[in-house]
Amino acid sequence: MKALLIAAVLIMSASPAWAHKLKLFVSAEGGEMVGSAYFAGGGKAAGLSGHVIDAAGTVIASVHTDENGAFRYTPPDGRAYLIRFESGDGHMAEARIGAAAMAEAPPPALTPASDMATLELALARQLRPLREQIDALESRARLSDIIGGIGFIFGIFGCFAWLSARRRGQP
Amino acid sequence: MAHIPDGIVSVPVLVAGAVVSLGGLGMGLRRLTPERVPKVAVLAALFFVASLVHFPVGLTSVHLLLGGLAGVILGWAAFPAIAVGLILQAVLFGFGGLIVLGVNIANIALPAVLMGLLGRRFLARPTLAGIIAGGGAVAATALMVAVCLALSGREFLVGAKLLVFTYVPLMAVEAVFTAAVLGLLVKVKPEALEMSS
Repeated sequence: MKALLIAAVLIMSASPAWAHKLKLFVSAEGGEMVGSAYFAGGGKAAGLSGHVIDAAGTVIASVHTDENGAFRYTPPDGRAYLIRFESGDGHMAEARIGAAAMAEAPPPALTPASDMATLELALARQLRPLREQIDALESRARLSDIIGGIGFIFGIFGCFAWLSARRRGQP
Repeated sequence: MAHIPDGIVSVPVLVAGAVVSLGGLGMGLRRLTPERVPKVAVLAALFFVASLVHFPVGLTSVHLLLGGLAGVILGWAAFPAIAVGLILQAVLFGFGGLIVLGVNIANIALPAVLMGLLGRRFLARPTLAGIIAGGGAVAATALMVAVCLALSGREFLVGAKLLVFTYVPLMAVEAVFTAAVLGLLVKVKPEALEMSS
């Protein structure tokens, strides 16, 4: 009984239902890629190393996350890249960043001619937290999924029982 | 982590995992008599939901597996239960990839069945049985994941160290939980464990 209580307390103290996997979020800020890696539900993935891979599949650079799980990298040109992070225990996350996003002008000097680029940079900065939030929301296990999954399990085994009962009923 | 995502393990490991899973499923389905189906369904549902109970460990978090418990109660029939749970976790929650399902099923279900069958021998002492089945299944799963990663060209020691570090707390939690459930079942509903057979 005591053991059961301990187990119950342990389960109560656990965090609520979140998906558990490595997630990667990357966006472009004026020719520079800015991203963060995190374990959905578990916190920031600090000190993780990843690779920047170009369209031909060659690794062009390696990046490391800081203590907040964030990283920055300025690629030599504005082409499409694949960023791939992997931890030693079998977590892996990939993110693509398109040529359209990367092709923006490099960080602009504050001259009138670069107003548009400044605006885009500012917008990208403002939109980033929002996009990260949407990304995190998507990875959450929803209650409807959980209930649906349990329903699926009983349905599958119900069908199995039904079929085997029919097979038995026949002479 | 027990749920390996797609793109990590190499093709020979994928094939081996699929073969082991299909073999285990065959063994399990042959022992799945109609009377045992409801029990298998309940434990499949328990396994499915258990993965949502997280414990923070270091930077990441681990979740309950409860394979050992299913192994003690169901024996080989735990294989289809865990397989169904894993398929639904992959489809609904994105836990682990779809292509590596065979490897994931083998990594979790095979230790669950073997350690569960071993634990059954000690059911007279449910606490010991729980420690063997609950803790043992988690340890064996961690070892199998590390071997799978090593065979796919990852460094074995790095992966194994990380896995042991994150899985030791989980082993303790599972051992306590499995022991508690078995202790209760032995007292209250021994027929659920089919102890006579």
